[in-house]
Amino acid sequence: MASNAASRRDEDEVCPVCKSSRYLNPDMRFLINPECYHKMCESCVDRIFSSGPANCPVAGCRKTLRKNRFRKQTFEDIGVEREVDIRRRVMHILNRREEEFDSKRAYDDFLEQREDIIANLVSRIDVAKTEAQLQKYAADNMQSIRANQAIEAEEASSFQARMSLEQEEARLRRQAVRQEYETERREIQAGREDFLTRLASGSSTDAAAIAREGHKVLLKKSSARRSEEERIRQKQAALRLDNKRVSNLSTVEQAGAADTGLVKGLRKIKTPEPEKPYDPFMGYVPEKRDYYSLQSYYPSQYLDPIRNDARMLAGGYDLREYYSRTLLEAFAGLSCFVGEEISQRDAANTSKSTATEGASMAVEGGENTA
Amino acid sequence: MKFFIDDLPVLFPYPRIYPEQYAYMCDLKKTLDVGGHCVLEMPSGTGKTVSLLSLIVAYQQHYPEHRKLIYCSRTMSEIEKALAELKALMEHRAKELGHEEEFRALGLTSRKNLCLHPSVKREKSGTVVDARCRSLTAGFVKEKKERGEDVELCVYHENLDLLEPHNLVPPGVFTLDGLSRYGEEHKQCPYFSARRMMPWCNIIIYSYHYLLDPKIAERVSRELSKDCIVVFDEAHNIDNVCIESLSIDLSEDSLRKATRGANNLERRIEDMKSTDEEKLKNEYSKLVEGLQEAEKARDEDQFISNPVLPDDLLKEAVPGNIRRAEHFISFLKRFIEYLKTRMKVTHTISETPPSFLTHLKDLTYIERKPLRFCAERLTSLVRTLELVNIEDYQPLQEVATFATLVATYDKGFVLILEPFESEAATVPNPILHFTCLDAAIAIKPVFDRFSSVIITSGTLSPLEMYPKMLGFTAVLQESYSMTLARRSFLPMIVTRGSDQAQVSSSFGIRNDPGVVRNYGSLVTEFARITPDGVVVFFPSYLYMESIISMWQGMGILDQIWNYKLILVETPDAQESSLALETYRTACCNGRGAILFCVARGKVSEGIDFDHHYGRAVLCIGVPFQYTESRILKARLEFLRENYRIRENDFLSFDAIRHAAQCLGRVLRGKDDYGVMVLADRRFERKRPQLPKWINQAMLDSETNLSTDMAVSNAKNFLRTMAQPFKSKDQEGISTWGLADIERHEAKRRTEEERMMREELNNGHAMDGMVPSASRIVTDEYDDNIDQDLMMLDAP
Repeated sequence: MASNAASRRDEDEVCPVCKSSRYLNPDMRFLINPECYHKMCESCVDRIFSSGPANCPVAGCRKTLRKNRFRKQTFEDIGVEREVDIRRRVMHILNRREEEFDSKRAYDDFLEQREDIIANLVSRIDVAKTEAQLQKYAADNMQSIRANQAIEAEEASSFQARMSLEQEEARLRRQAVRQEYETERREIQAGREDFLTRLASGSSTDAAAIAREGHKVLLKKSSARRSEEERIRQKQAALRLDNKRVSNLSTVEQAGAADTGLVKGLRKIKTPEPEKPYDPFMGYVPEKRDYYSLQSYYPSQYLDPIRNDARMLAGGYDLREYYSRTLLEAFAGLSCFVGEEISQRDAANTSKSTATEGASMAVEGGENTA
Repeated sequence: MKFFIDDLPVLFPYPRIYPEQYAYMCDLKKTLDVGGHCVLEMPSGTGKTVSLLSLIVAYQQHYPEHRKLIYCSRTMSEIEKALAELKALMEHRAKELGHEEEFRALGLTSRKNLCLHPSVKREKSGTVVDARCRSLTAGFVKEKKERGEDVELCVYHENLDLLEPHNLVPPGVFTLDGLSRYGEEHKQCPYFSARRMMPWCNIIIYSYHYLLDPKIAERVSRELSKDCIVVFDEAHNIDNVCIESLSIDLSEDSLRKATRGANNLERRIEDMKSTDEEKLKNEYSKLVEGLQEAEKARDEDQFISNPVLPDDLLKEAVPGNIRRAEHFISFLKRFIEYLKTRMKVTHTISETPPSFLTHLKDLTYIERKPLRFCAERLTSLVRTLELVNIEDYQPLQEVATFATLVATYDKGFVLILEPFESEAATVPNPILHFTCLDAAIAIKPVFDRFSSVIITSGTLSPLEMYPKMLGFTAVLQESYSMTLARRSFLPMIVTRGSDQAQVSSSFGIRNDPGVVRNYGSLVTEFARITPDGVVVFFPSYLYMESIISMWQGMGILDQIWNYKLILVETPDAQESSLALETYRTACCNGRGAILFCVARGKVSEGIDFDHHYGRAVLCIGVPFQYTESRILKARLEFLRENYRIRENDFLSFDAIRHAAQCLGRVLRGKDDYGVMVLADRRFERKRPQLPKWINQAMLDSETNLSTDMAVSNAKNFLRTMAQPFKSKDQEGISTWGLADIERHEAKRRTEEERMMREELNNGHAMDGMVPSASRIVTDEYDDNIDQDLMMLDAP
């Protein structure tokens, strides 16, 4: 089909090598080799390069070409074709991401630098030097290049997944609407028929009543259907939200590498501290009993009648539980010095030096959210 | 005539007022007091414009805020009419009040209509005039002149700088003609006078586009304050205007021209590098710093402004990879080449902006962000290069606009690539449509920015559709009926031919010889009985052509020929205007004529057939849109998914608003009369969707007629209309004097009091609730499904 599109444009297109024209050979296809970008027709490629590498047949071009590198041209403009090839290679190596840079400005500078490199390669200025730079950069930053490529691939695939999901949803919705429309129509038809038969069988006096009733039934049905639709829609919306959440979870983590000579302004990479185990009491250990030791018996007049009360004991009441709780409550606040803590907290707020672990966590949390 | 609405004194330039005009003004005042948007439907030909203007002028002059009025209309002639109306109103006010008020009103239109420069104004095309004007008035040209270089300047524009900047024209109302004349007398440019005087005007009258199209609005309407009153007149098509303002079509030819433009730019950059590198460096450093060009004081000569709406505008520095001019050019070239490769496909493709962007990135490594800055970057480059012959870069500008839009909006847009112009075509002529589907996107800034927006037209039914589609909440929706002293128009629905066979333009039976013959005999009969002019509307050009050729074969045209001259509208504007002129001549000299035209064509929109120019209008078939069009399908789907408007509801709404628009063409005032025939079986069900004023005038017995019954009805009607009718008979019924207004007010007041008392007596407002509830129920029943619609029309 592409050849069809091409044929209409240039009836008198001629292969620069064998001079056969499209008029004589309507199926003629042109191929190029990214070595020198000289265009020639398929049969020429077969003829010249079947028996191994050969020189480019275009006069003045002494590049050695191989058959397997020949491909179809994507863009009409050969210059753009070549630029895109170069760009592909450079972008593959210089694939820093915006979040790796200190500031937008640094990222923009990087983009411009990359653009300059590509422009140099395209217009053949300082090719050797630029190539050397690129090679060095590639060797030095192997790891980060890999990581960024992985991120890109993942982004692309997640985007694909999202798109196909959306399409599927749209298809389902369309189907649902069609179905809904069908049922609605059928119902109305059925209602009408029913109404007619009843009119036919009833006496002439209650015709008006039947008519009214018919309206009512239809109305009820339509309102019921509407609420049903509403419900289904809400459900679908909820589903969609869930999906979104899932896809958000699969965002990729950030990878880092050292600063390089070529690219400037990269953000210093901090390895995140390993997360500490979760501590619900923020350093306070409830089992620690500094001020008392639990005994099995405490004399108390108030408790005496309960000790042997079958009604209480039958329910599983244990006095030891009561002792432990009361004592804990009684001594709970003893090691806390509220005044001290407040002054500490104030100090932490001003100087950001954190005294207690809890306070430090609180401060960090505050920073993160801020 | 002077009367009071609440405490507001209104001066009305005529001695009599129509009751609906009075009601319209009352509602208008309510909306302005409350603040908010409203939708008002007022029958055509009942003096909508004058009541609107006289109320708002009274409002402006009475209250201390002096809220500015922005009156938007559709065509030049309507703008001119409104200005003339306003002028008469202000003269009347001056006479009544005994002094001239400090008041300024201006109309704004394109340079082409206002230019006075002796050679520029002779150009035919608007874009050429714009470009040449810019080359004579741009800021850098003037700088060059000051440096002593030999460049041409426009005298008219230069003279403006000698005047006080806030007093370029004296107070008063200027029609477009008047402004031109004033400019000629004082040797000053009317276009720039109007543009620069806008902040000091009380009333501005211009076309929709100056407010809705973000490319123009940003330049022209940016400085208008928040409390302006915005009126969209003739707004029944406003959703389409919104959509068009954000849609772009690219063809292969325009891409080729864009490439040429890019190459030219490249050459210019090379030139500049060798001669004046300083400027490029300056621009570059500005972009590096991320300076949003702060001057912008004289941005009248701006080349393109950003097509993106102000809310979505990125306030960031231009990304690094298009900062340098040569990088940007190579970027543009790559983008254009990519579009060219996309054009080579042989099947229709429709895709969303995100998927387009991914594919673009895969193939050419163009990312979203630089694409968003395309339009802005191009503007800056063009300014730096000081290009003069800007019209050469039009296609390039289009591509840049497209790039910016596609990278900005994810939702509400679709890209459709159609390789063939029509189904049958074999020679590909690919067109890339970038279509906006959501009318609310373009108009949202208007609703957000201005506190009162008034949408009004002769045909807005069903009213609730507009708030839904345009995404706003209306504080007031009202449709007015037409008060008539005698029944001066006769709407009828013809569902059957004389042989009792049903007539319809639905796709299945439209080419049935029986249906065609029945339509033919209907037209013949009406040509026979109607005096002077008859207008016939068809759903599409294609259908009109086929039916006319069939009528020719059946000899129907020969019969019509006996009574009337036959004239046909064609897609060609000049042919049509010639046909129209002939039609008018034939109507004036008594020969009588019949005009065949299309319900969505030029004639149905802007041309009035008042009095003898149109005594009967026939609408053959329901004017549905061409539903096989990809763009329409995409839009229908969008409406369903986002606004919960069903396909059929929208299609029938759209068809009926066009049909109503056609019917309204013949009735342009209360002394006018005419027959209106809707000839299709499907109209019978759609009757509730017609505007209230048409629907009320239609008797139940006239909604299901056959041709012969319709003809005898019309005959009777025309005979009654031929009786002498004095304007005195209308007084108190369809025209009110001052006494009538007072009587009406008194009656309303006593009515209100009575209601209040009743409510008090009942303790509850239950009585008021019941009828409205029952009405809702019947409404719900009304929208039952129309099976016919599923047989969608195709040409």
